[in-house]
Amino acid sequence: MSTKYSGYLGRFLDIDLSTGKVGEYDVTDEMLEAYLGSKGLASKILYDTLSKGVNPLGEENVFIVNTGPLVNSGAPCTSRFNVTTKSPLTGGILSCNCGGNFGMFLKRAGFDGLILRGKASKPTWIHIEDGEVELKDAKDLWGLTTEEAQEKLPKGTGKMVIGPAGENAVLYACIISQERALGRGGAGAVMGSKNIKAITAKGNHKVPKANPEKFKKDVRKWVEILKEHPSTGEMMPEYGTAVFINRCNAANTLPTHNFKRGSFAEADAVSGETLAETRLTGNFGCASCVIKCGRRVEVDGKNVKGPEYETLGLLGPNLENPDLGLICDWNYQADLVGVDTVSLGNVLGFAMELNENGLWDNGLEFGKVDNISGVIDDIANRRGIGDDLADGVKRLSEKYGGKDYAMEVKGLELPAYEPRGAVGHGLGYAIANRGGCHIGGGYMVYFEANGPLTMDPLTTRAKPQLTAMLQTMLDALSDSGSCQFTGFTTIPKQAIELNPHGNVYRVVAKSLELMGPMMELILRFPKMLAFVPPMALMQHPRVITDLTGMKMTFGKFLEIGLRTYMIERLFNAREGFTGADDTLPRRSTHQVQEGGTDTTVPLNQMIRIYYRVRGLDANGAPKHDTLRRLGMRA
Amino acid sequence: MPTVKFYASLRKVTGEREAQIQAGSVKEVLQRLSTDYDGELRRYLKISSILVNGKNVIHMKGKRTRLKPDDVVSIFPPLGGG
Repeated sequence: MSTKYSGYLGRFLDIDLSTGKVGEYDVTDEMLEAYLGSKGLASKILYDTLSKGVNPLGEENVFIVNTGPLVNSGAPCTSRFNVTTKSPLTGGILSCNCGGNFGMFLKRAGFDGLILRGKASKPTWIHIEDGEVELKDAKDLWGLTTEEAQEKLPKGTGKMVIGPAGENAVLYACIISQERALGRGGAGAVMGSKNIKAITAKGNHKVPKANPEKFKKDVRKWVEILKEHPSTGEMMPEYGTAVFINRCNAANTLPTHNFKRGSFAEADAVSGETLAETRLTGNFGCASCVIKCGRRVEVDGKNVKGPEYETLGLLGPNLENPDLGLICDWNYQADLVGVDTVSLGNVLGFAMELNENGLWDNGLEFGKVDNISGVIDDIANRRGIGDDLADGVKRLSEKYGGKDYAMEVKGLELPAYEPRGAVGHGLGYAIANRGGCHIGGGYMVYFEANGPLTMDPLTTRAKPQLTAMLQTMLDALSDSGSCQFTGFTTIPKQAIELNPHGNVYRVVAKSLELMGPMMELILRFPKMLAFVPPMALMQHPRVITDLTGMKMTFGKFLEIGLRTYMIERLFNAREGFTGADDTLPRRSTHQVQEGGTDTTVPLNQMIRIYYRVRGLDANGAPKHDTLRRLGMRA
Repeated sequence: MPTVKFYASLRKVTGEREAQIQAGSVKEVLQRLSTDYDGELRRYLKISSILVNGKNVIHMKGKRTRLKPDDVVSIFPPLGGG
């Protein structure tokens, strides 16, 4: 592959692990124009490469690592990289996005991405340096924790590694780069199934820029916007994502007792505020980040990554555990062995409720914390009850029962937002292509309960249209290589600082409920937005134009996000997913919260509208006309 | 007497996690807070969301929302995260 566009290195590795043959995958300029990079491009490659029904942990699955054009360009918050594969947890498409440092180093090594096929005959470590690839023996790394493995690998390289959980095919095993995780859906198990313990990269390649002067000027302005914005310049650096614990608790959206309730009496004990007051040793950011939302805490005398909101919610209130110190310990332990803390918190909560209901005598109880650390190790090594727990909530419910309160969608366990307190967010869980996911679902809760500008969390008005719009924007941000938190500045500082008790705020908040038809029109005909948005509103299209030389209008940017969702839909439809899979656990749709909101998620009425907005048929598959409009075909 | 809970930056500004405020409405709570604490809090109150028993008052009667003695009023500055 070579490309006329700047921002890319123009090389995409294609490695057959079974034969050791190293070649290059041909990514065309048309593919870059249609999908830009990262998640969208990798999804297209996966769709074109795999045939229906392959075993996710078999040799025939492929494992794609790639970047967006902004990565390593000098733009802020752009050290993200992406992994796309077929998920062993869901059987559907899986894309994971991570900070860490591997993406930047991969581009420095001279490549935009890589695809792994087949399976190495023995534990292997892949080293990529200045355009060259070496498959190395990893027998001395196999069995090590993610921290030990990274310490043993050469200094000055970008790294991505799995822990024992990935080696032992835990279906929600993650991949770690520095201290950041490609968390969800079992990408670590796929890497392990190919006998790959680690990938490292280094080199001296620079990202070419189409208009370096304008790029520099616009990037400087972008940094200013991020630093001056209340979300990215003040709250996120100060409290990180953990600040949402108390807010979600107050709004009945904090999962408690395996999502039976939406609030926890002792939530403040595990909140971002308490974390900042009692355990925080500092904050940190990924390379090129100016937000620095990461937390640092002390565990066993070591200064390590602190828990994010998701981890706090699911290993705290969801298990009726108010011990912040233990959550910090378990978070660190989960990263060392390489398991996703979102799935882990769900699996433990579900197993506790199964035990409570007499369906599985497993020794796990809500509020009982002394055996959890041992169970995490058992999961990573598939020992004792850990062997069942390692298969995730869906398979546990198939074996032991409790399907009504198995909190998963398409096999992926739910993140830490209780959907009956924010019904649009519930819609997002149901229709996200990788399964129960808040990011893939559009993160509607930000406009329902947590954010500065909120709609009625229990109304369905305009939620399907806004969900589709937010998903589209988040997908496009990911494709560019940018951190999705940069999207917070799309809501201008002035709007955030509106007086919530004034008439202007009331009009703006109310108008969100009236924006459905306009959103639908834009999503149907994005090309009509044939302009580059003002820098203060949205920075990405302008900076992508400066960098790549593509004429990136707002409409084209949205179209890239629309295609990204649609290619994932096509993949899942080919695998046999239907509208019946776009659903929620019965607890969310048929039972009211204990002691919280007296409503359930009215999913059916929202999903009908959502399908119409997206151009999907009654079975959730892309209509021919929708694909044609986007220049795609099945 | 309603309980008023402070979150995020408001804890630093007030130096407290919560306070009991004699008030019959959200408006009275805001007036009492503006009197009892310094000007920094007044700046935050202008941009903060207020929930009464978990429900945002913008979806109730705004500042005119009435309070009962056992109500919990939660005040949050604008947040970012996810």
